[in-house]
Amino acid sequence: MKNLPPRSFSVSWAVYERLLLAYPRAHRREYGPAMAQLFRDQCRDAWTDSQNWGLLKLWLRILPDLAATSILERLAGLKERKSMNDRLANLSGFRIAPAAVFFKLFALVFLLVFGASIVITCILPESYASTARVKVDPDPKGPLNSTATPESASNYDPYFIQTTFEILRSQVVLGPVIDQLQLNDVWGKKYNGGAPLKSAQSMEMLKARLDLAPIRNTSIASITVYSEDRDEAARIANAIAGSFRDYRVRSRVEASDRALQAMWDQYQNQEAQIQETTAGLDSLRQKYNIAIGATEPQSLREHPYWDKKRDLDTQLEFHKLLAAKIDAAKLDRETSLNSGTEIIDTAHPGNTPVRPNKPLNITLGALTGIFLASVVGGFFALIASWSGKRIPPAPAAS
Amino acid sequence: MSTHLQEPEELLPLTPAVFHVLLALAGGERHGYAIMQEVAESTEGRIKMGPGTLYGTIKRLLEARLIEESDERPDAELDDERRRYYRLTAVGEQVVRAEARRYADLVALARGKKLIGKTARAVMPGGYA
Repeated sequence: MKNLPPRSFSVSWAVYERLLLAYPRAHRREYGPAMAQLFRDQCRDAWTDSQNWGLLKLWLRILPDLAATSILERLAGLKERKSMNDRLANLSGFRIAPAAVFFKLFALVFLLVFGASIVITCILPESYASTARVKVDPDPKGPLNSTATPESASNYDPYFIQTTFEILRSQVVLGPVIDQLQLNDVWGKKYNGGAPLKSAQSMEMLKARLDLAPIRNTSIASITVYSEDRDEAARIANAIAGSFRDYRVRSRVEASDRALQAMWDQYQNQEAQIQETTAGLDSLRQKYNIAIGATEPQSLREHPYWDKKRDLDTQLEFHKLLAAKIDAAKLDRETSLNSGTEIIDTAHPGNTPVRPNKPLNITLGALTGIFLASVVGGFFALIASWSGKRIPPAPAAS
Repeated sequence: MSTHLQEPEELLPLTPAVFHVLLALAGGERHGYAIMQEVAESTEGRIKMGPGTLYGTIKRLLEARLIEESDERPDAELDDERRRYYRLTAVGEQVVRAEARRYADLVALARGKKLIGKTARAVMPGGYA
C-alpha cells in the first residue's frame, strides 16, 4: 500500500464516501463502512492491475452500480414502510377481506355506540314535568287605561310575549318563588352536600329547569318546570304562575295608586280654589248688596259678582266630575286588578318521567352508531384493502 | 424479501447476484471482499460486483434469513478485524441447492433439445460492476 500514490486513493475514497450519501441513512449506517472498505480493496486491486487506468475502469463500473443500487435502496425503503404497515395490519388481525373487516367493525362499533346510548339513557336521572298555564291580558282595563284613547288601547305590542317571558324569568318573579319554596335550603340539601345554595345559584338552577312557551293564537303562556321530584315540579310551576300574577297585580296596584294620588292631589287643589272663589264671591255680594238667592243682575255694576259666580259654578262642576272619576277609579282598582293575569291551569305532579326521552335517545344512539360504524368500518376496510396488496416475496436483490 | 419462508422453491428463481453470493458462501463463510473475489474468480472475471450490488444483496439475504453474520473475526494480524463475515443458513443452503437443481434441470432440458453439448458451460445471465 505504501507504494501506491496516496493522492489517487485518498481522492477516490473521499469521493466515494461522499457518494455514499446517495443511499438511505439506515443502509449507510449499516453497510457504509463495509462498502467503503470494499471500494478501497477494489481500488487496490485496480491499481495493482493497471494503476490509473485500472482506477478509471473501476470508477466506470462503480458509478452505474452506485446510481442503480442507491435508487434501489431508496425504493426498498419505501417498500419497507409499506411492509411495516402490513405487519401492523397483521398484528391488528386485519389480514382479512375488506368486506369482512367492514362488517365486523361496523357491527362492533354500532353495538358499542348503540349499547352506550341505551346504558346512558337508562342511568340518566329521570325528571318529571309539570305545566301551569296563565292567561295574560296584554291590555287590561284599569284606572290608567280608562283615560286612554281608543287608538292607544287597541295598539298591538309585538314584543308583549317576549317581554312577558323575560319577566317570568326575572328576579322579580323567580326571587319570591325561591323564597317561598325555600329552594336555597331544599336544593342545598339535595345538590350541595347540605349547605344552602346562594340565591344566584338557585336562580340559575331554576332557570335551567324552566321552559316557557306561548300557546299559538292565544294570550296564554305555559310554564313548564322539570324536576326529578314530581311534586316539586308542580309546586314550582304553580309558584311561578302565582308569583307572576302577584307581580302583575302589584305593579298594577302601584300604577293605580299613583294615578289615584295624582287625581286626588288635583281634587284638593280644586277644592282650595273653590273656597277661594267662594270667599271672593261673598265679599262682592256684600259690596254690591246682592241678595243671597238672587239669580239675575239688577244693575250693570254687579257684573263682577256675576262673572265670579260663573267661575265658581264651572269650578264646582269640574270638581264634581273629578270626584266621580276618583270614585270610578277606586271601583276599577278593586274590581278589575286581577283581570290582567289569570291562572287558567294549575300544575299537577306528572305520572311518568319526560326526561330522558328514551325513544329519542335510543333512536339518536342508533343513528350515531350507524354513522360512526360506517366511518370506522370504511376506514379500516380501506386499510385492509390497501395492506392486502402485498408484494409477493421475492429475493430480488439487484 | 419475506421472512415467512415455507418452501425454498417459493424464493425461486433467484436473481443472478443472489445466486452468485449464495454460491460463494456455499464454500464457507466469507466477508464482502472475499465474496466479490469468489464471484469474479468463479465467473472468470465476467462478473465483478460493486459495493452497492454486493451489500444490497447481502442486506436482502440477511433479511430473508438465507445468510447470517458470523461472530468469528479474523486475526488482527492476518486481516482487518472490522470485516464482517457471512455464512449460509440452513434455509439458505436449501435455497441455493434448489436453485442449482433448477439450473441443472434447465441445462438438461437444453441438452435434450441439443442446444448445448455435454461439455458446454452454462453461462448465467447478468453482469455486475
